[in-house]
Amino acid sequence: MKSTKYSDKVLEHFRNPRNVGSLEGDNVAIGRVGNPVCGDLMEIYIRVKDDIITDIKFKTFGCGSAIATSSMITEIALGKTLDEALEITRQNVADELHGLPPIKMHCSSLAADALHDAIKNYREGIKLEPVVDVPTKSSCELPEPKEIIGLDQFLNKGVYRDYSNLDKFRDKRVIVVENGEPSIELAIKLTEITGRVIFMTPLKMILASKELQLKLKISDVKVLHEAELLEILGDTTLEKVKVHDLNEDTEYELFVDAVILP
Amino acid sequence: MKTIYLDYQASKPVDPEVFEAMKPFLLETFANASSLHQDGDIATDALEASRSKIAQFINAQDPKEIIFTSGATESNNLAIIGYALRNKKKGKHIIISEVEHISIHNIAKYLEKNGFEVSKVPVDFYGRIRFDKIQEKIRDETILISIQYANNEIGTIQPIAEIGKLTREKGIIFHCDAVAAEELIPIDVVRDNIDLLTLSSNDIYGPRGLGVLYVRTGVLLTPIIIGGGQERGLRSGTEDVASIVGLTKAAEIIQERREADTKRLTELRDYLIQEVLKRIPKSHLNGHPKLRLSSNAHFRFDYIEGESLLLSLKDEGISITTGSACSSKTLEPSHTLISTGLLHEEAHGSLEVTLGRYTTRTDIDKLIEVLPKIVERLRKLSPLAD
Repeated sequence: MKSTKYSDKVLEHFRNPRNVGSLEGDNVAIGRVGNPVCGDLMEIYIRVKDDIITDIKFKTFGCGSAIATSSMITEIALGKTLDEALEITRQNVADELHGLPPIKMHCSSLAADALHDAIKNYREGIKLEPVVDVPTKSSCELPEPKEIIGLDQFLNKGVYRDYSNLDKFRDKRVIVVENGEPSIELAIKLTEITGRVIFMTPLKMILASKELQLKLKISDVKVLHEAELLEILGDTTLEKVKVHDLNEDTEYELFVDAVILP
Repeated sequence: MKTIYLDYQASKPVDPEVFEAMKPFLLETFANASSLHQDGDIATDALEASRSKIAQFINAQDPKEIIFTSGATESNNLAIIGYALRNKKKGKHIIISEVEHISIHNIAKYLEKNGFEVSKVPVDFYGRIRFDKIQEKIRDETILISIQYANNEIGTIQPIAEIGKLTREKGIIFHCDAVAAEELIPIDVVRDNIDLLTLSSNDIYGPRGLGVLYVRTGVLLTPIIIGGGQERGLRSGTEDVASIVGLTKAAEIIQERREADTKRLTELRDYLIQEVLKRIPKSHLNGHPKLRLSSNAHFRFDYIEGESLLLSLKDEGISITTGSACSSKTLEPSHTLISTGLLHEEAHGSLEVTLGRYTTRTDIDKLIEVLPKIVERLRKLSPLAD
């Protein structure tokens, strides 16, 4: 079966998703699952009154079935008690949608997990912030930099601490590792000479003046949050780096030409 | 509803003239080219005339250097596995690039399991092979380098002449997968010092299920399909004369119209790229701005996922493809996009548009009209887009 061979019901929910949006105010909880790196991120918002889900909204970044399952589960859960809603399984969602391709069953798990996460957060009084984040206190301090494997071997062979002469970065894919406001300014400046600048920070947020934050936001710098360099890889010069995703505690490789360290 | 087809890299229609040229060999002249009777001779003549024509298509010096196979995948297998197994005494190291077609990657994996070592050359942000890195990776034991002529996903054209010069100087065999390039770029295996070259019939509007491997005289291979010894023993199995005649016709047509096609497609492609980047905020072009196939436009859109884009375009009657994981068998995003240095979430939001002989300005206008609305709708659903 093709991975995009969907039932009419799935397509209908994809085309006309129910309950899109977010909720604010009292008695609201948010459930969040997935990771954009894997191609899906789901948020479900519930408003609860007398133990009943009286309003429900979702936002989803993902494939057709991720959007359809989010939409479907909001329809199923609305009006149910929290205990009833906790009983909703991925199979219920898939059945209501008249089935999903086997490779897409994880999407319906995500939807069920996001709903259950929201209920858990409601009961435990946990307030998640929307994904474009308002910082929590603990995320405001730069952690001690960890040792990077291969740093000595590749210093000045793709990894630089000295960037007085920016010309060597012309048309290169450059990672600038977070080191306060000067590093943000450096990243923005580099976009004048190359089309690919990644600003890598271990934090969830940008530590900078409002003005500089805005400058960064409208710039062509790609910001990589909650990421740390683990390892420099290559033969004799840098080819790629291994990155630690601190949020998911996973590792992945990223192809680059130059890394600028504090 | 009549669809707008913008996925020519995946499959092309057979040209009507090609179909006409094939017909007599399906219905009347059906004999086996290996048979010694008169009917067999007619088939043999057609087969050998085709071989000469295909040799001329890529400037091969001798028709014997042309081997017909069942497709580009088989040609890649015969070239790389066939050469590696035959020449392993010379060395057991081969080099490919990070952005090769999936068949080359999996062939390399197979050789690794069988005692060979494989190095992969990285590419730059635009998908161009890093030439300095090839030199870095060559060892005394390197026997073969396999680099594509142009990338099948993002359309970036590779520095083939430079690679050919280097490998010839070093005495290393150069295999080039030219499938993505063969329609619009004139190929010259002599000028570019190519030793082994893969072609596909369908990629020049010929019938499916037919490929070519060019094997330069003096390059020795072990066959990977054993049988009655057809194609100089390198590819056994009765030749599909009708398809081969079709491919030959397709090659003739391409040579006549290549220049005009390139001009027309370049204009359409540039118009599409310009309008998409202008009309859609946070949209980007993947691949090289200039050194790219005239038929290829490859985009990515921040905050959205490619499969939902594809489904929405499907509702508009537009057939198009994406580099997103969610539309693949493995749920991994395109290795080509990752190799250019894109993050997974960026690769997920990509859209591959490949134009062809029947693409019109009206088709492109329709895409330009609906795409901004679709992207906007999906961004409204996305938690990443606030």
